[in-house]
Amino acid sequence: MSSEELRIGDIVGADNVSTTPETCMIYSKDVTSLPDLVHQIVSPRFDVVTQPVDVPSLQNLILYAIENRIPVVPRGNGTSGWGGAIPTRGGFCIALSGMSEILYFNEFESAVTVETGITWRNLLTFLERLGFTLPVYPSSATAATVGGFVASGGLGIGSTRNGDILKQVLGIEAVLPNGKLVRLGQVLLDSKSDMLSERAKEGNEWLSKQLSAAGLGTPEQETKLFTGTYGTLGIITKVTLKIIPKLQLVPFTCSFDSMEDLVRTADRILSTVKPYYMRFLTNEYTSKLGNLKARENENGKYILTGALLDTIYQNEDNVEIIKTTTEQENGFVLDDKRALYYWDERLYPLRIKRHGPSIVPAEMLAPLDMLPEILEKTKYELRNSNVAIEGMLNNDSTASFMVWILDDERKKFSFTVGWYRSFQIASLAERFGGRPYAVGLWNGRHAKKYYGNDSYNNLKVMKKKLDPNNIMNPVKVFGGRVTIGRVSMLSGFLIGFVGVLVVGWVGPRFLGLISLIQLLETSLLPSFYFPPLALIAFAAGLGGLLITRLMTLNQALAMGIPVLKILGKLLRR
Amino acid sequence: MVCLEMTKLDFLEKYKQEDEPYVCASCGNCTLVCPVFHELNWESYGPRGKLHLVKSVIEGTSEFGQDLADKIFLCNLCEHCTFVCTTGISLDRFWEVVRAEVRERDLLPAPAKFVLKSLKERGDPMWMGSADRLLWMEGVEELVKGRILKKAKVAYFLGCNVSLKSQLHDVAKSMVKILDYAGIDYTLLGDKEVCCGAPLGWAGNLKDINEMAEKNLEIMEQLGVETIVFSCPSCIQTWSEYSERVKKDHNIELLTASQFINRLIREKRLHFDEQPMITTTFHDPCISARVLKATEEPREIIDEIPGVYNVEMNPSRQNTRCCGSHGLLDVVNPVLSAKIAERRLRDVTVTPATRVVTECPRCILAFDLAKFTTNYDIQVQDITQLVASSLSPKKEEGDRNR
Repeated sequence: MSSEELRIGDIVGADNVSTTPETCMIYSKDVTSLPDLVHQIVSPRFDVVTQPVDVPSLQNLILYAIENRIPVVPRGNGTSGWGGAIPTRGGFCIALSGMSEILYFNEFESAVTVETGITWRNLLTFLERLGFTLPVYPSSATAATVGGFVASGGLGIGSTRNGDILKQVLGIEAVLPNGKLVRLGQVLLDSKSDMLSERAKEGNEWLSKQLSAAGLGTPEQETKLFTGTYGTLGIITKVTLKIIPKLQLVPFTCSFDSMEDLVRTADRILSTVKPYYMRFLTNEYTSKLGNLKARENENGKYILTGALLDTIYQNEDNVEIIKTTTEQENGFVLDDKRALYYWDERLYPLRIKRHGPSIVPAEMLAPLDMLPEILEKTKYELRNSNVAIEGMLNNDSTASFMVWILDDERKKFSFTVGWYRSFQIASLAERFGGRPYAVGLWNGRHAKKYYGNDSYNNLKVMKKKLDPNNIMNPVKVFGGRVTIGRVSMLSGFLIGFVGVLVVGWVGPRFLGLISLIQLLETSLLPSFYFPPLALIAFAAGLGGLLITRLMTLNQALAMGIPVLKILGKLLRR
Repeated sequence: MVCLEMTKLDFLEKYKQEDEPYVCASCGNCTLVCPVFHELNWESYGPRGKLHLVKSVIEGTSEFGQDLADKIFLCNLCEHCTFVCTTGISLDRFWEVVRAEVRERDLLPAPAKFVLKSLKERGDPMWMGSADRLLWMEGVEELVKGRILKKAKVAYFLGCNVSLKSQLHDVAKSMVKILDYAGIDYTLLGDKEVCCGAPLGWAGNLKDINEMAEKNLEIMEQLGVETIVFSCPSCIQTWSEYSERVKKDHNIELLTASQFINRLIREKRLHFDEQPMITTTFHDPCISARVLKATEEPREIIDEIPGVYNVEMNPSRQNTRCCGSHGLLDVVNPVLSAKIAERRLRDVTVTPATRVVTECPRCILAFDLAKFTTNYDIQVQDITQLVASSLSPKKEEGDRNR
């Protein structure tokens, strides 16, 4: 055991720390397979994985990280694909799944407070036994943690009626990058068992000053500092969520021959019925699901599926409205058994991966009326790729759509080249008024658009105030300098060296600068031929190397993606 | 990072499992239900983590060493990860194939080597022998007289644990009492019975399972057996998956004890006495629940016995928690195995049940041990024991025929 492991073991408990390469490798992954080339710009693994089991040990761990300038990355169960939980500069992985208690439940206040490592499924099971449920939960609810989804933000089951998860958060407790504990919004706890209220009070006083210096509101008003910011401003330790009574739920499913018919129907259903949840699957998706093979009304069709959450009497009318609307728009309503099948399938969108076996995901938000056109263009752009598309409809006339690009990571070269396609979808959707669904690591360059200019600037100001050493989940959301691997450094050097060598040799000849040619061709050393051009090219090589060392992630992507795109076009991908 | 050569894992290719580490969606569903992960709390012991490890071996970024081999054997093969897998990976099959790779590389844990040696030399995984397979008959000699290798349509296959472990002899005795009570003409293999072959697969020898199954099935074919009743669900799973004869002969029927007993009840061949208010909870063995889908039959049986009330444990049926002793974990790491059993027994303590009923000999052994270590006052029984002890006194032959 290394001395560092021993010291961290003293803080979080010896059983809760590991530095073994295999453990560090496993905790460095999320659901996306990344090409090896990516590890030229972000580090491939954490140096240490820790699993703190309480808030004080987490605070002490952060203080240790500050003292030693070690990056820290919070992690739930790694069920997302936006890179929010993967390492960029090595450092500590702080796995929070050990903190998973339900701390407070009050049906009169319609609220539940939990530690952030609890999975949504466990929380739902607990609530459903008491006759309650959650207004919104993620489609990865079977394994995703509450902290992970709240920290990354986004839409889920229930968003069609209730909006995104951030609207369901009443309060958040978090440990700041300086180790202080704060409580934002309304964190409901039993006062008798709340051992950390004094610490939180102290932390809130400090945060209040910082917020007012930045021209922002009080801690009670600023929960958005931690919702949807991927743990870049602090590690969420407790969340108070809204709960709703568990009402009658009626699943429904309709089948269509075209996306236009599906969208028209969805639009009408959204405005008249206000369903709890509505999801669509395109023809590529349904034609790939093996267990739909024998179903002619589903296989290769466009499926609109969802559920109504209302009283049984209203649902009787609503079911009829759905049936009539679907038939008017050339659709076909499937029976209850099939509707139930699709309702159960809402938690398993990744089933499609069997057809890869690898996937490159791209998820976007788009105006509902533009959806058929965007999907048509997407299919055209990716006509040489194997894709499957599905998505969710929201209560603000937008839809999130996920393009699963099916590939095989074992074909290293073509998989690496094909990786640009997810960025291509983002650019395409933007042309039609869409935006990336999430920021995480890879969409940092769209962060301003995602959060809005003012909000992004406020977050940036707070990041500087709260995390001056940039140790808390670095490079995510706000970008930053990347870790450079040997291949990148060598490439930087070679581009500088070869570029100057070629330009220095061809340029003067092309322009007919005889004296310059003579100057560059004279030898600097008497003993062997060493022209000044070689020296200049070497200096340019070093310059290229320095540029790669100083490059930020967004710059690296801005340079790398076009190169991959050109290679991709050449390979007809 | 050390960059090694791509590693070819022969067994993964042979059994067409080489895509599976790549098919894994890393959704984490498997990890959260894994009993080993629940105890050890590190992803490197859970299915998702181990798939990443195997993938890194294939890609040459890590080596297939003793550490990985040991981790592969820290698994109950309880089928829970397979049951919840989003992309439909048959993970238990995959772990068995990786165990075969471990064996090929001579990295088997010592207890697994012992099991293989014992199966080869003694025909059971416990280094006992064929003669010991008759010891359970003590006290029921009259009932089994003339039954060994008798020509009959029904055979009772005890399995190694029930026939060789004295704590479980009462399970076999109860079963023959039930068969006798119902007037079933059945046969026993006696000392000709050999292991079904399941532990071979758990210890990485997939090749010889069919041969072991054949030794039993050949005799049964000669005896004209059409229905085989098992006390151990793993035997059924093994024969269904690996026996060529069972795959070809669609007339042969493999039933768990509860499936057969339930049939006898429906045929009105069994009659019960009122019991003095017994509250039970049924523990679904992993293989019966998740592979054989036999979750309702035992409950229907319990419902039929007057005075016995069944309450459900959480989790139950196909979401049942493993007892910890399947897949050789009980011999490779008995401490971990016992901890898993204790966790399951804690599920019983939050119900009003005073008795846990199951239908797998391994579960009974695991719970008996966990009772000892936890000091929980819970009675553990096989479903056959509960049924046999609840039967009404036998009616006269003439009455029964009527």
